[in-house]
Amino acid sequence: MFLSYSFRLAMQSIWREKWINLLSVLTIAAGLLIITLALFSIYNINLATKKLPEKFSIMLYLKDGLSDQDIGNITAALMKDNAVEKVKYIPKDEAIKELRGVIKDADYILEGLNENPLPASIELKLKQKYFDPSTVKRLASDIKRIKGVDEVEFGEQFLTSIHSIKTGVQTLGILLIAILSAGIIFVCYSTVKILFYRKKEEIETLKLLGATRGFIRAPFVIEGGLLGGAGGFFGMVGALAFYYGLFNRLTLTMPLFKGVVFPFEMFIFLPLVGLFLGITGAIIALGRIRF
Amino acid sequence: MIHFYNVSKFYENQTAIRNITFSVEKGEMAFITGKSGAGKSTLLKLIYVAEKPDEGKISIAGWETDKLKESSIPFLRRNIGIVFQDFRLLDNKNVFDNVALTLRIRGVDENEVKTRVFDALKMVTLRHKTGSFPKTLSGGEQQMVVIARAIVGEPTILLADEPTGNLDPDTAAGIIRVFKEINAKGITILIATHNRELFRNTGRRVIRLDTGNFVGEEAG
Ligand SMILES: Nc1ncnc2c1ncn2[C@@H]1O[C@H](COP(=O)(O)OP(=O)(O)O)[C@@H](O)[C@H]1O
Ligand SMILES: [Mg+2]
Repeated sequence: MFLSYSFRLAMQSIWREKWINLLSVLTIAAGLLIITLALFSIYNINLATKKLPEKFSIMLYLKDGLSDQDIGNITAALMKDNAVEKVKYIPKDEAIKELRGVIKDADYILEGLNENPLPASIELKLKQKYFDPSTVKRLASDIKRIKGVDEVEFGEQFLTSIHSIKTGVQTLGILLIAILSAGIIFVCYSTVKILFYRKKEEIETLKLLGATRGFIRAPFVIEGGLLGGAGGFFGMVGALAFYYGLFNRLTLTMPLFKGVVFPFEMFIFLPLVGLFLGITGAIIALGRIRF
Repeated sequence: MIHFYNVSKFYENQTAIRNITFSVEKGEMAFITGKSGAGKSTLLKLIYVAEKPDEGKISIAGWETDKLKESSIPFLRRNIGIVFQDFRLLDNKNVFDNVALTLRIRGVDENEVKTRVFDALKMVTLRHKTGSFPKTLSGGEQQMVVIARAIVGEPTILLADEPTGNLDPDTAAGIIRVFKEINAKGITILIATHNRELFRNTGRRVIRLDTGNFVGEEAG
């Protein structure tokens, strides 16, 4: 095979044009680093919103004077819905006990009342996969129609804004990743194109001596791959530096960052991603080789 | 080995080759002559498929060039050693690597590359220049490197375009001597030259062109 020779040619070429190549590698590294950070943000926002259903609940406030039978019927009706994970009945006395606990210092509010002013309620938790604004709204309006239910409450504002942040960050991230990937491919494309044009005469000679397309392309594809791979490697180094130099310290000082996870598996793949993008750029740059 | 049937080649406002039919047989060493612009180089380019004929058919070493897939062109060219008029040596490679290129393109094993390159350099008496770069060589020496590169792949056909270009008569005679040696090994050779001295008294066949037309054959 001629590949070992192609590899040698690629290495020679990388060395001969070291400044162009260094610049490309750094550009690719920067692009891949930004991609990593974008993925990192998306990953964490997804993670954070995954935990939300545990905290999120819909409250049903019940009319006064319902019998145990009525409450049993309501619970049964709720459990029939696919989206419902569990329901918890909170009787009137428990509600007031809870309220007393909360307003310790302001217990004058409840003084002198001879009747419990709080309604009994049912707290309803959703299954994770049904946790989205449209399901919650649908469920809320269904519940309202159940006999004995007085009022339904859920953090509608909260729910929709979380959802739009999530989809917004996701779209923005994906857009950013797409643009940067195209940019990286373009950098490899241009670099290989420049090198290719500089060697136009040489390539013409190779063709006349009987070189196949594969032989002509191989050094450039290898070079594009090496540029992308090296860019990926430096991007990975940058991501590690980001993690140990900045992120790690932030989590120590700012509790807000405690729950944030840095997915290491993700940037082990950076050199491979770079390699792939580099080879893609090189192949596009070479185009169809005619004899 | 080389067959042209009614071949014509036109450039935009120029007829380079007009309705030419001729053959060069296996083992022959022949010349194409004619003054500058007669179509000699074009004829050679048609043989190594750097140009395609507008009319007629060409067959080279058993390959019909009009039926040739583009991806097969390299394999046809591996039967042909070419001594380019402008040498086409790679300035950033030394003599060894320039000659070796022919073999590396074919994926020949590096050990074999070494022995074959030295054999070829021996044939053109340039073994002492193995490590030199083209720019440091004389015109005659460069020509010899090109010849070594053309024969190292053991082609069945050797084409040479003005191989004695601007060389002095002694050097030119040396080059013709090398061609005869190569030809003696059974390689078919076609040499394009405007220099009549080159084939005088060789007794070889000479094909004469004039502005793209075949005007006759003679014995040199
Ligand atoms: N690529 C080209 N484009 C246009 N005209 C060409 C081209 N190559 C050769 N010609 C013309 O074809 C004719 C034959 O050229 P060439 O084969 O180079 O002649 P020779 O080698 O005998 O000097 C000349 O008139 C030349 O100008
Ligand atoms: Mg010519």
